[in-house]
Amino acid sequence: MQSVSRSWLLLSGFVLFYVIYLLFGALVFSSIERPVEERLRHDMQVLTEEFLNRSCVNAASLELFLLKVLRANKYGVSVIGNFSGATNWDLPSSMFFANTLVTTVGYGHTSPLSDAGKAFSIFYALLGVPFTMLVLTACVQRLMYPLVIAPVSALQKSGLNPRPATTIHFVLLLVLVLLAFFLAPAAVFSTLEASWTFLDGIYFCFISLCTIGLGDFVPATQPGVKHRGLYQISVMVYLFMGLMMMYLLLSFFHKMADLHGLTTLLQLPRCDDSDLEDDREPIVGGEPKAPPLKDKAASKPLDPSSQASYNSISKG
Amino acid sequence: MATPDLLDPKSATHNTKPLLSFSAKSVALSPREESQVVATVMKRKTVTAIFLLVVLYLVIGAAVFRSLEQPHESAQRFAILSQKLKFLSKHSCVNQSQLEEIVKNVVSAMRSGVNPVGTLTNHSSLWDLSSAFFFAGTVITTIGFGNISPHTEGGKIFCIVYALLGIPLFGFLLAGVGDQLGTIFGKGIARVEKMFVQRDISQTKIRVISTLLFVLFGCLLFVALPAAIFKHIEGWSALESLYFVVITLTTIGFGDFVAGGSEIEYLDYYKPVVWFWILVGLAYFAAILSMIGDWLRVISKRTKEEVGEIRAHAAEWKANVSAEFKETRRRVSVEIYDKFQRAASIKRKLSSELGFSSAPELTLPRQTSLVNFNDEWERNEKDAGQQNSTPPARNGGLLLNGHNPERGDISII
Repeated sequence: MQSVSRSWLLLSGFVLFYVIYLLFGALVFSSIERPVEERLRHDMQVLTEEFLNRSCVNAASLELFLLKVLRANKYGVSVIGNFSGATNWDLPSSMFFANTLVTTVGYGHTSPLSDAGKAFSIFYALLGVPFTMLVLTACVQRLMYPLVIAPVSALQKSGLNPRPATTIHFVLLLVLVLLAFFLAPAAVFSTLEASWTFLDGIYFCFISLCTIGLGDFVPATQPGVKHRGLYQISVMVYLFMGLMMMYLLLSFFHKMADLHGLTTLLQLPRCDDSDLEDDREPIVGGEPKAPPLKDKAASKPLDPSSQASYNSISKG
Repeated sequence: MATPDLLDPKSATHNTKPLLSFSAKSVALSPREESQVVATVMKRKTVTAIFLLVVLYLVIGAAVFRSLEQPHESAQRFAILSQKLKFLSKHSCVNQSQLEEIVKNVVSAMRSGVNPVGTLTNHSSLWDLSSAFFFAGTVITTIGFGNISPHTEGGKIFCIVYALLGIPLFGFLLAGVGDQLGTIFGKGIARVEKMFVQRDISQTKIRVISTLLFVLFGCLLFVALPAAIFKHIEGWSALESLYFVVITLTTIGFGDFVAGGSEIEYLDYYKPVVWFWILVGLAYFAAILSMIGDWLRVISKRTKEEVGEIRAHAAEWKANVSAEFKETRRRVSVEIYDKFQRAASIKRKLSSELGFSSAPELTLPRQTSLVNFNDEWERNEKDAGQQNSTPPARNGGLLLNGHNPERGDISII
């Protein structure tokens, strides 16, 4: 009884803290961005008036035209420049789009226009998102051994206790990932993209690798980019590997939290080591582990505590 | 090729002993080694296979999207091009560069959230408190619509830091909400299951039915109902509302459709209710997606097992063949060594009997010693040619290179 009330208390504590966090973020964003918005609006007004004064266009026809332009732009069709066949739906760009769909990044710089495209996106995403999660967890499980467990055990052999060893290695790995997947690509992007600064590059890397994907910065969308297909494919590869590293860090952090007793304290789902062992069981002449599991799963009634949680997707 | 010595009991046991011990050991060792090797190779190959499958999935998706979308895109492009030309021809005082200039400015303003279309005075800000709250929510849930995004440097840096802390926080929250949701559903389904158990239906069927119920009920509550509400309030089509629901709840979040993002007059509690729906719907979708993931994993495991069985048979066959080969090789080498030892011992015996100084010959390689024996045998034969009835020992001793008919010895190759 005490644990039930404790879990409810924890949950309401989380919700309250979450709401406060959102309010705090809202306040800060509002205070930072609003003045800039005001200034931009004022500039636009001035610009429109100048345009109208200078020419023979009246406001109504200009607005009509602008509406159409904006609607086209929402779907990635730009009215600027020559209409030199740079389409958003050739094979590399479509693959890039499918990749943003399946990794749940979802930039939105292009989105399906047709009804059939929208319907297809629904099914494609419903199947593709868990599929990608599966692949990512499989790769992470594979990488866990050489990148995490082996160095940590080496550190432990050289005399450190498990807790400091894992912390040291986590920090080291974090710094490495930061260098290799944030700073270096940001530098590359800021040189390849004409209008991006270094901060824009870091911002883009972070927003993409956390799968937020706001879409205000998307590489390979400027007109006149050379080797667009190759560029997009390499960005896709970078995104996939970066996501893998993020998941690795996340599961490492989860294991570390287990070790430090945080998960039991906060009553969070523990790191499940049975998945790791499942993949390692000998296939030839090993114990038949799979059939008993299946029977067990089939015979057990729906256990409320066994519901999948969001974290379980990342830890598989 | 050496034939097994079956008549001599000593050599028989000598031959069979290595056979037993070696082959037994090999059969015991190699499957385990093989299995370890096979297991790690399987895992790498499984991951590679899954990876290739994902790439294939992406390519297929790309091809389908291209075929569906490109005609639409060309139609849009053609329409807007004709619009532009019409505008330019109607208003001849505007030249192309001026037009492009203002269009560029308008587009970038649009991206910053300022809509220059319509009178600019009575537009609500995109960064008032409720919209900023909504934006913060989209960042933390990693949906990231993108219809609003920070443009100042400070805003971007704060966004990064904010997300770093907020995403794990939201993850914990989602885990908690998912658990509570699961408990509620579980209790309801347990009641339903109890009803079914009374009717004597198998456990698997009950499980399947309860899963279906979960999926259906959740779909109704978190997908169909909100889609209908969005259709009514936002004025989207049914497909567009459904599309928005799925794209939002899988946290993809394109941003082409955003609830609360158009210029309509919304009720006060609309946006907070939408946010709450996102929270609970995300938990539901996380459960659904992990269920699909489990199915995929079971399928992949079953395929792995089936493939593993085939590989197991192949590995077993290979192990047996290599064991046999190794064992035969070893047996032959043992026999050769054995023969040599016996030859040496008999030679010693002979030398001790006949007084031959055969010590140096023992150190010679086998081939030459055979030749020597042959010469000696010929010489001995010539010496004792008339002696027909040589004692069996001597006879046996002289016939060292060939068969000993009494002993049924094996000839050395």
